[in-house]
Amino acid sequence: MTAQSERETMALEHALGLLDGESLAQAEQLEAEDSSFAALVTIWRERFSELDLTAPPAEAGSELWARIATSVERIEAGQSPALTRSARASRPNASFVASLWHSLPVWRAAGLSGAAAALSLALALALISRPSPNPTYVAVLMTEASAPAAIVNAYRDGHAELIPIEPIAVPEGKALQVWTLWDRERGPVSIGLLDRARSVPLDIARLPQTGADQLFEITLEPKQGSPTGRPTGPILMKGTTHPAL
Amino acid sequence: MLGVARRFLPRAEIAEEVVHDAFVRIWQKARDFDPARGSARTWIYTVLRNHALNTLRNERRVDPTEDFEAFGFVSEEEGPEAAVMRLSEASRLRRCLGGLEPMRRDVIVLAYTQGLTHGELAGRFGVPLGTMKSWIRRSLTALKDCMS
Repeated sequence: MTAQSERETMALEHALGLLDGESLAQAEQLEAEDSSFAALVTIWRERFSELDLTAPPAEAGSELWARIATSVERIEAGQSPALTRSARASRPNASFVASLWHSLPVWRAAGLSGAAAALSLALALALISRPSPNPTYVAVLMTEASAPAAIVNAYRDGHAELIPIEPIAVPEGKALQVWTLWDRERGPVSIGLLDRARSVPLDIARLPQTGADQLFEITLEPKQGSPTGRPTGPILMKGTTHPAL
Repeated sequence: MLGVARRFLPRAEIAEEVVHDAFVRIWQKARDFDPARGSARTWIYTVLRNHALNTLRNERRVDPTEDFEAFGFVSEEEGPEAAVMRLSEASRLRRCLGGLEPMRRDVIVLAYTQGLTHGELAGRFGVPLGTMKSWIRRSLTALKDCMS
């Protein structure tokens, strides 16, 4: 094995979380000092991170959220003099995260799981670091009864997210599959499979940029997803994108 | 996030502790987050995973019987195969993991989701440590070729 591939393997093992003891210390030092090694580790963390989303949902007790909120407030109280000068001045949007953070009990009251809360926080961080926080296209997915049931936001950098706003009953052994139709020739393309209605990033990185009037829909499919790669079950909701103002 | 933590640490109170500490750490470090170095979601999960891994390894050092919890009582539904099945159908990671022999795929997924080390994986699959190390290296090389 060459030195180059040796290092690559080490980056992969580090991203996987396999290293401990001396080899872990070595990888951490490389990550801190060598930007190409660090970049490799990040790429593989991003890739493996899909597996984090497969964790069976576990509901945290209200006590945990209360404890987190208390701890965070304590930190804020302790640090605020330093913050007002430097950090807050350089990051005016930090207060946005703060307000989101303080709505923790609200997330819980809304019945959101810890994973959804994490995604909200991730979204807030993403908003802070992005010059244009607004989605470029928004689609409201409507049920057959013309009731709004979910929102799809598509952003300029190519990422998109699904935010359900109505609970959807998913029978045992079934799953929700999200599709988009950007090319009638090609037909609907699967961009996500959900065990239940929850906010998720959509897998559209391989697709061309989302445009106006692009159809998004959710169908009811077998648990492992449509066996044909095309929608086979009933359409639960659908909608097309409109430019966001 | 609690679901991720509980795959590492099945005991609810320890997993909740890890989630608590990770959230606090994320809050403290949020201003250092650099979007040029990967997505916010991955960053958040990395903080959580590192914390869970440290806790797991410390626990095992203190009380080696902890191993049994992670080794034995994981239901089929939470096993490595189920995790792969739950990946998006369009996922390249799913396709590439699917290209590995089932046992080698399980090794990689268990290392990631449950934080098992080379030695623990060797014990679990009943092969010598050297064999496990070379299995993992070969599987990672195959993944690397498939994903790039």
